[in-house]
Amino acid sequence: MSVKAIGLCLVVSAAAVESLAQLALKLGANGRALWVALGILFYGGEIVLYTLALHRLDVSVAFPLGSLCFVGVALLSRLVLGEKVGRVRACGVACILAGTVLIAL
Amino acid sequence: MSRPPHIPRSVVVGLALAIVLDTVIQIAWKLGVSGGAPEAGTGAILRGALGNPWFYLAMLAFAAQLVNWLRVLARADLSFAQPFTALSYVTVLTLSSHSLHESLSPAKLAGVALIIVGVGCISRTPSTTSALP
Repeated sequence: MSVKAIGLCLVVSAAAVESLAQLALKLGANGRALWVALGILFYGGEIVLYTLALHRLDVSVAFPLGSLCFVGVALLSRLVLGEKVGRVRACGVACILAGTVLIAL
Repeated sequence: MSRPPHIPRSVVVGLALAIVLDTVIQIAWKLGVSGGAPEAGTGAILRGALGNPWFYLAMLAFAAQLVNWLRVLARADLSFAQPFTALSYVTVLTLSSHSLHESLSPAKLAGVALIIVGVGCISRTPSTTSALP
């Protein structure tokens, strides 16, 4: 695989791991230390993945792909946490995603 | 849309701090990993980062962000709070384009506007699901 293809895989993996980290931190935010520890562990993984990705990609490419974590977080919030992700919130996430793509052009 | 719902002051302050810390993390992190050849191995990249003070500033801001973020998440929905961090994209773009003396293209400006509209949408929703009528 080319340097860029590896970078793209790394940054998408980083977005997925960040979504899981956010979920774990939310579950630990009311004092459940085990979830916080798991969240930190996921963030540790994300630090390594994103560091390696940034080394191979411009921020302008890494940023919009990293923003897939907003979609991941919205899905996990709804499915796992039972938060109400209605049309307005979903529209907000869609605007953010479209905005990051435009920024990268 | 009707009057925006009340957002607790501690959540507003926490979200603002999160955006500042996110900006510091992004810029310091990039500066911390920019040395060396693009085809360098994983070990060389990580060793290079560990010898770079910017990388440590990024990690310090990361630790502060963790403490701040747990406080925000204790008071607000994850799907409400997390999208606000997208505003750091706007601050990073502004700072990096300023330091590189680049003018912002119309596409980039439209992207910035869309992100602000997106976060604006989310700010109009209740900050916690339990606060819904």
